[in-house]
Amino acid sequence: MIRSVLVLPDPVLARPCQPVGVIDADARALAVDLVDTMRASAHSVGVAAPQIGVSRRAFCLDVTGHPKARSCHGEVVLLDPELVEPPGGGPRPVGREGCMSVPDLTGDVARWPVIVVRGTTPDGHQRELEMDAFEARAAQHELDHLDGLLFLDRLVATDRVFPRRVYR
Amino acid sequence: MARIAVTALGVDRPGMVAAVTGVLMEHGGNLEDSAMTILGGHFAMMLVVQIPDGQRPTDLEAALAVGVAHLGLTVAVRPVAGPPGDTGAGEGTDEGEAESGATWSVSVHGADRPGIVHRVTATLAEHGANVVDLTTRVIGRPEQPAYVLLVRFTLGTATDESALAAELQELAGQLGVEIHARPDDADIL
Repeated sequence: MIRSVLVLPDPVLARPCQPVGVIDADARALAVDLVDTMRASAHSVGVAAPQIGVSRRAFCLDVTGHPKARSCHGEVVLLDPELVEPPGGGPRPVGREGCMSVPDLTGDVARWPVIVVRGTTPDGHQRELEMDAFEARAAQHELDHLDGLLFLDRLVATDRVFPRRVYR
Repeated sequence: MARIAVTALGVDRPGMVAAVTGVLMEHGGNLEDSAMTILGGHFAMMLVVQIPDGQRPTDLEAALAVGVAHLGLTVAVRPVAGPPGDTGAGEGTDEGEAESGATWSVSVHGADRPGIVHRVTATLAEHGANVVDLTTRVIGRPEQPAYVLLVRFTLGTATDESALAAELQELAGQLGVEIHARPDDADIL
């Protein structure tokens, strides 16, 4: 089901999320809603549960076809995801990020270039994915949502915010 | 050689930077640091300019006013003490508090309401921090706008980081906003 995406200043976006825990019917329905919502927006490469009003640790992403993607696992849905430490790859490249929940702005954020994310799929399997480049950036952006953080809280500098052209 | 700070303000239109810098160049000025921005259709610019010995700031201000009158710009010239990059936080500072050099950034966002910038920056000032950069934006739907405030500041030598962090969190609760403070981290290459 396509859900509405919450925008600032909705307080749910700032709330650290609770674990999903047991993969039950609700968890599977959440996974479907995340993907449906992502697909409904032409420019979305990922949606985190708090963005659709659910304060649980779950996100989906799909960087297929993105020009800045190198690794690409297609449609990824992870419940209770976590970053396997330590992230690697050297100094963190800066990229310009936007977010459906932060209208009108983009901003420059430094992210780990290579990460390993571990989590549970909606059918209950453990999955560990190594990601780099744009896919790694997208995953870190979504993981931040689960901790109640927005890209605004990760800017490399206070003057690195920019107006965003809204795609209608 | 002396230094001046030039500020210019007016309704934005093409030609403003060219006009201001043209007058400065004609008077032997050498442009050093500068910043400009356009907010709500208004242009604002600040320049630090090295001027030749014998060039009086007041005369330059008068020449600028004439040179930019056709653009509707308001200009002001003030002397600046010290070499390039000097923050001016030496003898001129009221409190005389030296900066520790540690730089932090703070992001604040939530429902738009009066007082956010003042309360946050007053808290920083009370703890001896000095704001070095600040950006604010109103975003979102007009029926429920969100306010974003981004501040970069340096800590004073006497600043208690954890006390400041705690007070910012308490302020966040009072204002109904999110406040995230963290040390700046730059990779020095």
